[in-house]
Amino acid sequence: MRIFILAAALLLLAGPVGPARAQDQPHLTIKNHRFQPERLEVPAGVKFKLMVKNEDDTAEEFESFELNREKVVPPGQEIPVFLGPLDKGEYKFFGDFHQDTAQGVLIAK
Amino acid sequence: MSMTTTVLRPRTGLFSAIALAVFLLPLAARADFHIRSPDEIDQGEYELEHNGSATTDRNPAKGGETSYTAEFGYGVNSWWHPELELAIGRNAGLGESTKVQGIVFEDTFMLTEPGEYWADLGLYWEYAYATLRGTPDDTLFGPLIQKDIGHTTHTLNLFLSKEIGPNQGVPGLDFSYAWQSRWNVFQLASPAVEIYGDAGRTSPFARFQNQQLIAGPVVVGSVALGTLGKLKYEAGYLFGVTRATASGTVRWRLEWEMHF
Repeated sequence: MRIFILAAALLLLAGPVGPARAQDQPHLTIKNHRFQPERLEVPAGVKFKLMVKNEDDTAEEFESFELNREKVVPPGQEIPVFLGPLDKGEYKFFGDFHQDTAQGVLIAK
Repeated sequence: MSMTTTVLRPRTGLFSAIALAVFLLPLAARADFHIRSPDEIDQGEYELEHNGSATTDRNPAKGGETSYTAEFGYGVNSWWHPELELAIGRNAGLGESTKVQGIVFEDTFMLTEPGEYWADLGLYWEYAYATLRGTPDDTLFGPLIQKDIGHTTHTLNLFLSKEIGPNQGVPGLDFSYAWQSRWNVFQLASPAVEIYGDAGRTSPFARFQNQQLIAGPVVVGSVALGTLGKLKYEAGYLFGVTRATASGTVRWRLEWEMHF
């Protein structure tokens, strides 16, 4: 039990210590099974919260192997996806339930 | 994943959900080898899963152990994923046979959003109802910790378990642990290394050579099936590290995820 308490304490203590965080929140919208915009610039070198809103009436899953994220976005809802710090470059993402249309790229600058 | 200045917040209803699960569904546990991630919870997603393992050893008393599971899970919401499992297996040694060993109710709780803090934190709890006469029920719980570093993902599971009921053997808690470090190079197949250990009873711990410890390489991958969902798979060979462990363990996992 002491091991668990120690692990939890270390995680909590480490909380405020970390890389810089972006002030702006980039947004993505899912509409007609497409991401809008399909290419989105995000800050490199800092943590940021990407907000993903699903305006369709069916669920979608924001997924990116390169970003190691996989998260369902229920219809009509908006979810946060915590990312970064990213190296400069391009990172592909897609909607897992409509891969034929829901494709996009994050461009970290 | 890195730190922010925000504070860990308790999930609404988490503790009531745990309490509900504890009191309503007293079920069981066995040993199946796979790493549990705090991030693999998808709201509204159904999951069929199979885990298997088989041991080999020159000493027949340690070889021939097998474990097979069939599981069904569902993402109730964005932070709670219960699963129901049928556990089938064969004990090590000569003259043993394959039997249904138990029914297990598993719960995974995601406590932090992936990437929100320095590491991702989850909680796992299961109750295993033993179907074999003379075998105790078992409950197991502990934290799931995961951290991304560059293109690698590192996951640690720390578990305490306790036998329950009139058939329990030595009283007290058992400590077990599992670790996976994965290099995310290809979605279809990424290499990883894993460690699974069981230190035995916590007071006192057994001597190291008498503890269970296996380690080795694993391949982890997934493939999209279009409207049929996604297939995830893992396979590996784990070498026995201590005298008490079988010299080799093959393990595999198949998981089919669907969203309706």
